[in-house]
Amino acid sequence: MAGSEGFVGADNAEAIITRIEHKTRKIESLLKQYKTVEALKTALEGTYAMTSDERCKSAHWIAVHRAIMAIKDVDGMLSSLDPEYYDILMKYLYRGLSTGDRPTCDQCLRIHEKLTERAGHGCILRFLTDTVNTV
Amino acid sequence: MAVISVHQFAQCITCHAWSPDRSMVAFCPNNNEVHIYRLVEDKWEKVHVLQKHDQLISGIDWSARSNKIVTASHDRNSYVWNLEGSEWVPTLVILRLNRAALCVQWSPKENKFAVGSGAKTVCICYYEQENNWWVSKLIRKRHDSSVTSVSWHPDNNLLATTSTDGKCRVFSTFIKGVDAKNDNKKDSKKSTSSDLKFGELIVQLDLSSSWTFGVKWSPSGNTLAYVGHNSMIYFVDDVGPSPLAQNVVFRDLPLRDVLFVSEKRVIGVGFDCNPMVFAADERGVWGFVRYLAERKTVSSGSRYGSQFSEAFGKFYGQSKPGVGNDAVETSKTRGVVHENCINSIIRLGERGILTRRFSTSGLDGRIVVWDLENEQDLLEL
Repeated sequence: MAGSEGFVGADNAEAIITRIEHKTRKIESLLKQYKTVEALKTALEGTYAMTSDERCKSAHWIAVHRAIMAIKDVDGMLSSLDPEYYDILMKYLYRGLSTGDRPTCDQCLRIHEKLTERAGHGCILRFLTDTVNTV
Repeated sequence: MAVISVHQFAQCITCHAWSPDRSMVAFCPNNNEVHIYRLVEDKWEKVHVLQKHDQLISGIDWSARSNKIVTASHDRNSYVWNLEGSEWVPTLVILRLNRAALCVQWSPKENKFAVGSGAKTVCICYYEQENNWWVSKLIRKRHDSSVTSVSWHPDNNLLATTSTDGKCRVFSTFIKGVDAKNDNKKDSKKSTSSDLKFGELIVQLDLSSSWTFGVKWSPSGNTLAYVGHNSMIYFVDDVGPSPLAQNVVFRDLPLRDVLFVSEKRVIGVGFDCNPMVFAADERGVWGFVRYLAERKTVSSGSRYGSQFSEAFGKFYGQSKPGVGNDAVETSKTRGVVHENCINSIIRLGERGILTRRFSTSGLDGRIVVWDLENEQDLLEL
């Protein structure tokens, strides 16, 4: 996988954080134009890079959370989302569910049901068994 | 449908094997015995019970030419059973294991067999004529966790193993005195000096981050297939220094075992209780084709079977009050043949380029025989 290393040096983490901030600004602008699906895709891209650093993971999560909460039409969103994003989206949904925050959980649960219909139980299994690429 | 016959033999079956002429089947009904049934005029009769092991029997293999049964059990032992007259006589094989044996397979020439164990080792056993017993040589290094399944390459030397450490490995099991060196003349381009060292790791495939099961070689030995517990199946072509790996993701529950019915068609069985067909297209790209047995058509209310609907109903509960009840289907019969996880799939008949018939056994205690005669798309090479 391009860009995945075990140990994250301080410089690299800073570079990632900067990239994420850049991404967040892009997401904000997409949301202003009501392009929620694009925003989600942007948020989900590149999340596997440097996955061992907690700060990077948190920063990625904040961006994805923003995009997830902005979604109103779940069916529409899933129809236009490429299947390659299903697995990573499922992982973030479970992260959302683990926060315990009511609005986040409601939204994640709503998306989880539709995503399971589309992607099947295999998608859930891949989240459960993947202990290496965690979000 | 591709199903020829369904037999309910016990409450639960851990493993099974067929006699060379396929008139008898041996299986372990989830205890420490092996039951052998013979088909007599359309009815199955129990003809032998092999009692020697102390714990669950996790693997059985019945050699086609020498008519020997090898069993491996959680009691860390393995027995080779020979038919003398009308009795099966066991010979203990000293495996030198300190954990359970999990799987066993005869080699293509039936002069060796491999046992995978929870002791992170693989035992290669061969017969020593002078002492009239089976000796085991251990491959101790390399595995970081239990060896869940083993499979022999057609050349009788290479052995593929899968393990709960997520990796699939290929070893050489060359034993001086058992394997003659000149046999390799035909494949001289493949055998190098490292092939001829016992326990040599030829290839290690690190494609999965979850437990791996069910490794098998294709009929030519060029391709390997194995499954992961993360609902993925891995295909590796040109196994060697530069293998070509493909990860195939699929929708449903994980698989436990696979079988190559031809060079480009694989059948996988597992927790969905329904065999899945995978095929490689002209470019060599593998993908899921279809299920083999009919799937129960789902009621419009929900996509989930009765065992899931209650759980998911609670999960999604708040927003959907009615989802629990109207999704309950007519209980047990889900329109598929097995009702519980299928954990083993065995070829019926000689090893060849094309397999027409195979049998599956599962935790529901059934052994089902399948025939691909009417499945045109699967009979092409």
